[in-house]
Amino acid sequence: MNEYRISDLSVGLQASFEVEVTNLMFDQFLAMSGDNNPLHLDPTFAKERGFKDRVAYGLMTSSFYSKLAGVYLPGKNAVLHGIDITFRKPAFSSDRLQVEGTISFINEAYGQIEIKASITNGNGELISKAKIKVGLSV
Amino acid sequence: MNEAQILAVVQNVFRDVFDVEDLIISNETNSEHIEDWDSLMHINLVVAIEKELKIKFNLLELQDLKNVGEMVKLIQDKLEK
Repeated sequence: MNEYRISDLSVGLQASFEVEVTNLMFDQFLAMSGDNNPLHLDPTFAKERGFKDRVAYGLMTSSFYSKLAGVYLPGKNAVLHGIDITFRKPAFSSDRLQVEGTISFINEAYGQIEIKASITNGNGELISKAKIKVGLSV
Repeated sequence: MNEAQILAVVQNVFRDVFDVEDLIISNETNSEHIEDWDSLMHINLVVAIEKELKIKFNLLELQDLKNVGEMVKLIQDKLEK
């Protein structure tokens, strides 16, 4: 886990990691959220709606933005202030996702950074993009 | 940019940050006049003003501001430097 302080950071600093979407994640997100919409649970239903398989919850894959801020950028000293997410394409089980973020703005007075972030699949397709506001506790 | 012009820019920033299209502010406006103006929204306001006017504040300049009018004066000082 990174432990950046505000003085360590600069616009343009990047972080990234990879993660594979698993069936266990679907089960755990269902248990946590209570969202039992069949689009996320029933492959037959999802195929009837034009998708190749059941669709990963958007907020499940977006939880990787939490990891991006809380573990990588800035890491331990992060306090999430806000996040705007736009979804572009669905993700599916077994997709290998690339999560990336770049610091786009720093407010030194109050120790807040903004991160432009994205999640892409193994084919380079954009799953979602986000603007993340993160405060630093030190 | 004179004070009235700066106030107009700041008002647009307030409207955007607080998502209230018809919000009217004056030099006397402070956090007691806008219910959602808490510490986190204050950071959002400062960041939005920095971006809009391409200026930077430091903490010492900000911590003694008592109302919008004092913020407008601070902005004018920065724009004139």
